[in-house]
Amino acid sequence: MKSGLSNPMVKIVFYAILILWGISVIYPLLWTLLDSLKNNDQFFRKMPWSLPDFPLLWSNFSYVWREFSFGDYFLNSVVVTIGSTLLGLLLSATTAYVLARYPFRGSTALFLLYIASMMIPFSLALIPLFFLMNSMHLTNSSLGLILVYASTLIAFGIFVLVGFFKSLPKELEEAAAMDGASYFGIFFRVMLPLSQPGLITVGIVNVLNIWNEYIIGTILVNDPKHYTLPVGIAMMQAQMQYRTEWGPLFAGLLITIVPVLIMYMFFQRQIASGITAGAIK
Amino acid sequence: MKLGTNAWQRNLFIATFIIPTFLFFCVFTVYPVLQAMYYSLYDWSGSSDNKTFIGLDNFKEMLHDPIIWIGMGNDYFLVAGKIIGIMILATFFAVALTRFKFRLANFFRSIFFIPNVISVVVIGVLWNFIYNPQIGFLNSFLSLFTKDKVDITWLGFTSHTIWMLLPPAIWAGIGFYMILLIAAIQGIPESYYEASSLEGAGQWHQFRHITLPLIWEQMKVSILNIMMTTLNGSFVIVMIMTNGGPDNTTQVMGSYLYQMAFTQYHFGYGAAIGVLILVLSMITTVILQRLMRQETIEIS
Amino acid sequence: MMFKRHLAALSLAALMIVAPLAGCGSKDSSTSTKTEDASSSTTTTTNTDSSSNTTTDDSTKKLTGDFEIQYFVGGYGDKWWKKVIADFKAANPDLNVKESGGPKINDQMKPRWVGGNPPDFVYIDGPNLNDRQMVEDGQLEDLTDWMKDATNIDGTKISDILAQPPQLFDGKVYDIPLVLNSWGVFWDKALFQEKGWEEPKDWQSFLSVSDKIKAAGVTPFIHTGKYPYYINGAILYPAIVSANNNDISILQDMADSKVEAFQQPAVLTALNKIVELRDKGFIDKASIQINHTDSQMLFLQHKDAFIPNGLWLPNEMAKDVPGGFSFGFIPSVTQDSGGKVVANTSTANVAIAKNAKNKEAAKAFLQFIFSEAQASQWAELSGAPSNIKGDISSSSAPSHVKDAARYLTDSNTVVVPSITFNADVDKAMQDATDALTIGKITPEEWVQRVVDVAKKVKK
Repeated sequence: MKSGLSNPMVKIVFYAILILWGISVIYPLLWTLLDSLKNNDQFFRKMPWSLPDFPLLWSNFSYVWREFSFGDYFLNSVVVTIGSTLLGLLLSATTAYVLARYPFRGSTALFLLYIASMMIPFSLALIPLFFLMNSMHLTNSSLGLILVYASTLIAFGIFVLVGFFKSLPKELEEAAAMDGASYFGIFFRVMLPLSQPGLITVGIVNVLNIWNEYIIGTILVNDPKHYTLPVGIAMMQAQMQYRTEWGPLFAGLLITIVPVLIMYMFFQRQIASGITAGAIK
Repeated sequence: MKLGTNAWQRNLFIATFIIPTFLFFCVFTVYPVLQAMYYSLYDWSGSSDNKTFIGLDNFKEMLHDPIIWIGMGNDYFLVAGKIIGIMILATFFAVALTRFKFRLANFFRSIFFIPNVISVVVIGVLWNFIYNPQIGFLNSFLSLFTKDKVDITWLGFTSHTIWMLLPPAIWAGIGFYMILLIAAIQGIPESYYEASSLEGAGQWHQFRHITLPLIWEQMKVSILNIMMTTLNGSFVIVMIMTNGGPDNTTQVMGSYLYQMAFTQYHFGYGAAIGVLILVLSMITTVILQRLMRQETIEIS
Repeated sequence: MMFKRHLAALSLAALMIVAPLAGCGSKDSSTSTKTEDASSSTTTTTNTDSSSNTTTDDSTKKLTGDFEIQYFVGGYGDKWWKKVIADFKAANPDLNVKESGGPKINDQMKPRWVGGNPPDFVYIDGPNLNDRQMVEDGQLEDLTDWMKDATNIDGTKISDILAQPPQLFDGKVYDIPLVLNSWGVFWDKALFQEKGWEEPKDWQSFLSVSDKIKAAGVTPFIHTGKYPYYINGAILYPAIVSANNNDISILQDMADSKVEAFQQPAVLTALNKIVELRDKGFIDKASIQINHTDSQMLFLQHKDAFIPNGLWLPNEMAKDVPGGFSFGFIPSVTQDSGGKVVANTSTANVAIAKNAKNKEAAKAFLQFIFSEAQASQWAELSGAPSNIKGDISSSSAPSHVKDAARYLTDSNTVVVPSITFNADVDKAMQDATDALTIGKITPEEWVQRVVDVAKKVKK
């Protein structure tokens, strides 16, 4: 027996709500595309939802691509996101494992300390953070961003992974220990693979956060060579404010949205199962 | 002997897994934050060599600063609005897309998550165009139904302008929580529903008595998470869309912190606002937990 | 779910955060404020290009090392900077000139100023850079003595050629005005001619033509509500001066945050002019939420007839100015008929950082840019007057610049020299004016709010 909706009226209403919300999500993207092909004049003369005039102004895209090195920003974003996520995962998984399995004096306090740090408004730390990075010669460098982003990941990583490791059956470790595996061996060869769903959860959440982060990026990087995508768009938007180029602005927005959308389409399953894994445990 | 080595090995293992992370965390997170807390006790422009220790004066001044109170009100408005809006819609979508066996459920689920992968900078710019009084989407759309052209300044009311920032915030936030709740619902054994169906329970009854109690933990976590991310992070969208204006009606504590510390040359004061945000987050967490613990008992 | 147990203890933990970590975090916090060189920082390092065949073998000593210039890129664009820096490089091939420019450069460079590692030379313009504050913070080099007999590369004394002298802070010079702007009200002469609207000369004519404009279905007045300093600069401050019998000292007292200055009746009179605009429905409702470019676009599209702005407007919008559009400009509209026009000027200044590493080069650069040859290109490349005498009316300047020049040199104009308000007072006035334009507060409340802030600042 299926538990579908019995009342057709209710069903229609529910469908309508779903479709409306779906439109509210899809439409702005479509609208961004349409507007990226217009010039300023069309913004004024025509309705916001109208189609752009022919010829379509694809040149808006080449214009922003030329003016702002989006290719570089993209590459920087990839390097920074992957680097910091991997580093952050390593740092949080190791500590989480010990906290979950090998409690020591003060381990609870340590755990709570990490958790508590998630509540700290990070904007508070920006200027001191800049001093710190500056004194270590890590401003304007992808490495600097990787280190800082990785540190922002630690607390959340520990938060999720401690629970995850606790949920894994102890028998596997015991069996591995019987086979003479060292502590490190057990962790890297047995536990880490088993905790993949948890790692993915943490990883995904952080990839999304870091990929879109721009406040820290703006403060720590002021060399266009090292801009990440969000910093790039923020700069572009600031520049557009003095130029009123709405078409190119939308083209730029689209250029930044499309890679994430493609990424999302490819990794959708992992993203969903990642969040799922974190939630179920 | 063997035992000794083992204990030593164990300790070495614990140390290698704990210490590097802790040091790293201290250097890049704790140290800057403590440093900023230390600044909150100073009168310091943020760019001068002179710092004057003033004890708690920054905090005393906050009591008399009307914008702090506006910001706090707006923050809690956003927290409340987002919790209500996101939880209702996310729960609705999660239930609709799992329990009701809609065709296209997977499609909707994929679509609804999209705003979560878009940078908040992009979201802010897009919604600014939606709200633009002259060339914006909303006014043009409304004008279709009226005789005169609608010219509402969506981001320029004399008060309550903060309401206008709620839709983008909810729009952008739903996907994540929806996925979380979908997972929770999928974790509920189908047999529970089958049993209650045999007893003739309707959808609403099932939702009240099976789904809701069993996803309540995830909802609690979601609510706490919304609260924390809002208090700490809502200032980004405020800064992009309204810069706290007009006349501070959309100021939140985070944007006011930023404005004070970085554009009005009161870094010490800005740091003190940061400390205030921290304290409020902690207090709110405790209160929310209390409230929700009671609720759990009522429901189940 | 795994977190439920721990969340209960969360708050406790947060309270504990300070105690256990004092050891690892709170070393000596004061040391970190003095950050030494961060050679890695900043933008386009353009090495001295070899194309320079102007080998200057003259008496000047050779400039070497690194030299970094910070410049904000806003409505004036960056053409002039690109050009002048290229010329300067050509003249000094051994100098490694770095330029850090852009629309967000003030924010981006701020940490370096704070960290004691500023660029050598700074162009003070755009948001979030306030010379008064920089002076108070001891970030700018004292140029008082240097200015006394500094000459430009042509051998002319710099102080002799400045149209407006440097602003004095406690009697000292810290920055030199490079660009001269006048706030004022713009309209499209062509449109006015076509519709038979007369161009405003004073408050009465401004109001009467606005009535006509409104009757014709056009909104008379739009401003940049997101950045209310536009309406303050072009309407409110001139109105205050007019109401104060053309005595500009009231604005200077306001700049010094003197409480009594804000309580003068002239301030209320001026505020009531804005109220009049509001109550007659002349102010475009859209104003309150839009930024400068959006308001300027609406103005160019003839949705609105007047816009308060600065002289950079035509250059900023150059690409979007419709054919046939002809900028009309008057520095103030708030004077009574027969009264003097009040030109509230603002300058964008250049300065040398106190912690500059190459002050030699920075001073040489000052001498270089304050020459006729370089400065006179400003008007042409940026579409606005520079602060060099005579330059403003030079032949290559656009017509609105010449209009402005006419006003600025007219004996019947009260010229208000560039004034920088305290940042808090300035923000309070901006917020209050916005609130006033949407009818949220009364002029009396405006005064009360600003007085409160001024009192706090003065303390």
